[in-house]
Amino acid sequence: MSQRISLKEAERKTFTSAYQDGLWDILIGCIILEFAIAPFLSRSLGDLWSSVVFLPFWALVALAIWLTRRYVVTPRVGVVKFGSWRRTRLTRFTVIMLLVNLVAFVLGILAAANFATWPSWAPVACLSLTMLAGFSLAAYLLNFTRLYVYGILFALSPLVGQWLYVHLKAPHHGFPITFGITAGTAILVGLVKFVHLLRDYPLPVEESPSQGAYGG
Amino acid sequence: MAERQIDQAGPSSLVSIDQVIHAPARLTVLTYLYVVESADFVFLKNMTGLTWGNLSTHLSRLEEAGYVTIEKEFRGKKPHTMVRLTDKGRAAFREYKHNMQQVLDDLPD
Repeated sequence: MSQRISLKEAERKTFTSAYQDGLWDILIGCIILEFAIAPFLSRSLGDLWSSVVFLPFWALVALAIWLTRRYVVTPRVGVVKFGSWRRTRLTRFTVIMLLVNLVAFVLGILAAANFATWPSWAPVACLSLTMLAGFSLAAYLLNFTRLYVYGILFALSPLVGQWLYVHLKAPHHGFPITFGITAGTAILVGLVKFVHLLRDYPLPVEESPSQGAYGG
Repeated sequence: MAERQIDQAGPSSLVSIDQVIHAPARLTVLTYLYVVESADFVFLKNMTGLTWGNLSTHLSRLEEAGYVTIEKEFRGKKPHTMVRLTDKGRAAFREYKHNMQQVLDDLPD
């Protein structure tokens, strides 16, 4: 109990403790994984269904993460309800993320409608910039610094993939390689964080009302 | 309250320092509770680094002073304890912060 006390630092530490279990990283990695695997499926399922087929996969991952958080993480790290300042910031984050997704959607429609007239790099650049903006805003608003790294990796993935396609004839625009590396990085970081959490926060053994006045 | 008046012989501003809050362990607990709405026993233990026994003792002291409320419930068969700063505790913490600032500002360089 020798750490310096600062209200801002305490609040930040409290809030960021929610991301130290690595489960968000794993979820993000699994979402990005779609971009790596979907190109293999698009030939047989078509562009739409090769993406839709991932919805039950994401639902399963989300369910697994929810169960893990409830039965593995929470008993180890405890429960906290954040104050009004942080809740306001989370609301702002939700609104901004909705706007970013709306912009991405509109850009996607524009790219699809004008695919023939746009230069080949333009839709890829739009996707990269939108994703970089989204991840960076999320990283800033949530004090979740790893999101900056994922944002950069995610933004670079289509650009590098396109470069691999043009120069090295990489299949599927290089997406399986570049998005695979990005997804793999996020999942690996998440797994490492999760293992660290299990090691650093063992299950409390004195969790009994008979031991200590408030053994909870 | 005897503890509040502990330092009668010191500089006048020191007298106003709330001794219930001034103990390092209780100050740490209150700091975390001040920045959140509520937290459970496990979370506070992890954040403060206190032992179960110590945390229990300090929370009892804070509860006696009316600075925190402790709600105990059972989730299944397991006990679960949520701790919340009361309005009185929040006001006392703000006052403590203000008074400490004054004490430190009054010190010569």
